[in-house]
Amino acid sequence: MPPRRQPPPASGPWGPRPAVLLLAPLLLLTQQGVAAAPVGAEGPEDSPGLQDAEFPSGLLQQAARAALHFFNFRAGSPSALRVLAAVLEGRATVNPKKGCQVDLVFTTDHYNPEVGEEHLGKCSARVFFRNQKPRPAINVTCTRLIEKNKRQEEDYLLYKHMKQLKTPLDVTSIPDSHGHIDPSLRPIWDLAFLGSSYVMWEKTTQFLHYYMAQISSVNQWKTNDDTIDFDYTVLLHEFSTQEIIPCRIHLGWYPGKPLKVKYHCQELQTPEEASGTEEGSAVAPTELNNF
Amino acid sequence: MKPLLGTLYLLGILVPEGLGYDGSLAQTRRGILEETVSPWRSLDTYSYTKYHPMEEIYQWMVQITEKYPGVVTQHFLGMTYETRPMYYLKISQPSANHKKIIWMDCGIHAREWIAPAFCQWFVKEILQNYKDNPRIGRLLRNLDFYVLPVLNIDGYVYTWTTDRLWRKSRSSHNNGTCFGTDLNRNFNVAWCSIGASKDCHELTFCGTGPVSEPETKAVSSFVESQKESIVCFLTMHSYGQLILTPYGYTKNKSSNHEELIQVGQKAANALKKKHGTNYRVGSSADILYTTSGSSRDWARDIGIPFSYTFELRDNGTYGFILPASQIQATCEETMEAVLSVLDDVYEKYWDSNSAVKMTSRAMVLGLLVSFRSVF
Repeated sequence: MPPRRQPPPASGPWGPRPAVLLLAPLLLLTQQGVAAAPVGAEGPEDSPGLQDAEFPSGLLQQAARAALHFFNFRAGSPSALRVLAAVLEGRATVNPKKGCQVDLVFTTDHYNPEVGEEHLGKCSARVFFRNQKPRPAINVTCTRLIEKNKRQEEDYLLYKHMKQLKTPLDVTSIPDSHGHIDPSLRPIWDLAFLGSSYVMWEKTTQFLHYYMAQISSVNQWKTNDDTIDFDYTVLLHEFSTQEIIPCRIHLGWYPGKPLKVKYHCQELQTPEEASGTEEGSAVAPTELNNF
Repeated sequence: MKPLLGTLYLLGILVPEGLGYDGSLAQTRRGILEETVSPWRSLDTYSYTKYHPMEEIYQWMVQITEKYPGVVTQHFLGMTYETRPMYYLKISQPSANHKKIIWMDCGIHAREWIAPAFCQWFVKEILQNYKDNPRIGRLLRNLDFYVLPVLNIDGYVYTWTTDRLWRKSRSSHNNGTCFGTDLNRNFNVAWCSIGASKDCHELTFCGTGPVSEPETKAVSSFVESQKESIVCFLTMHSYGQLILTPYGYTKNKSSNHEELIQVGQKAANALKKKHGTNYRVGSSADILYTTSGSSRDWARDIGIPFSYTFELRDNGTYGFILPASQIQATCEETMEAVLSVLDDVYEKYWDSNSAVKMTSRAMVLGLLVSFRSVF
């Protein structure tokens, strides 16, 4: 929420300085208000109260991102991917021994910028970050923007398009250095993002989050029994280390069916450990575990 | 099998790095660019909606200086690690007035291509419009613009030749086993105390000491020498859609924090009016993460009042590899934000109705008047 402000006064010989002084206490209060409200200073019973120092910056954003990655993976639909628009409200409860729980409401936008939709979706989520451990537990519901049938139809169109691509694909990186994605290859990007969503969800912690920076190679693209079999290497941008993490992802997709994902990420920060890698796999959208 | 694959993968990355050359092993991860640099001769055909390699930017600087003599001059700032020259452009209208300085730098992080694109756009907009546009004309009456289109030149070149997602400089460390310092962790402000790494392998490596890097040294020596005149220090980055105020190294706020937020929020509003893009405003430690040794914090602490980091488009959809098709919209909206900041800075120091410049005595009187009107 931006701080409320008064319009600047007409210039006088003293300039705007007096107005700034008058505004200063107001802005200070408003800022503190903004900081307090999402944090839930009124405090649920089990919370010892939040200290600023324990609270990583942008925890609400963090939770929203993780929730969205999970939502996108679970929806399994490359034509209906969502991105974060804004966090509307949220509260966090810290249990120093276990982790922290964030309840929040946020708006979403359509992932594909070319699509002229103005619809903002809305989601509410409960995200539990286990202390220093990845794979936050997530419970998320979003307003339905596209009817299920329509979504499946779009997915099926994408699928047909993918089946028509000539293999082997003559492509090094997507996008190229100038950010260009050939329209015929756009479905590949969307499907790669879908697979990456699973990986990014699993890797997210209170302090680390990810974006998909680039598909650095397409290792395999084929159709097995109608399922799109896609083996690729994606570069994930890791905040706040700024590292670029290469992840090899192998996914299987068919419209309307659960996404199958296997992956293997390289953690370059511990080169001496051969076991500094992460693997994971998912076969079906998991039922949400109670936490 | 998988650990072996992992080891092979690591070797594929570390060996070329160690030898300091880029063979095909690096290709899988890095995506070597095969762009051919298109030959271009005249400034009239220079495209501001494309990304340009360093050679073209050097050429552009010369040509823009030739096209607008008397307003633009090119100045040498220092040499990079790989001995490339660093130049900034000074945009200044000859005048009897003592001018204050606006400093803008772009591309301190190599992979943030939209930033140098914006610096070039900014220069072009000022020069094409200062005669006819009263808003820009007025700024140039009392302000000089110093624009450094690419700060981390070696890194920027490397993103064109080898690794599009390179971030740091290209200095060599540890007997050539790792490369690059994060120049935005290398400034002399709470150096390496937080949010930075002493490990040269890491992407937030703060260097071997404060201002250890030639690029940092070149910028800080110059800015320090001009600090009495510099009122505004803008450093352009991507991505994230943020306007960041000091500090990153502490959650404490600068003495003029409220004013910086107010000016920043006004700029974000102006930006949003252009194409609807949402920017958030706040201190770096509050809305991003803690960092030390940043140029913005350093500039504020040597006394430059308006010090901001801009994180340009987008929000993570394409991240660093922002499509060239978005350069125009990004630059147009960012221009609105920057002009908004400059207007506020201008109005603070030079009133449009009278020629009276704000003096400290006038400020004190102003304070007394405002307190009297409140109580």
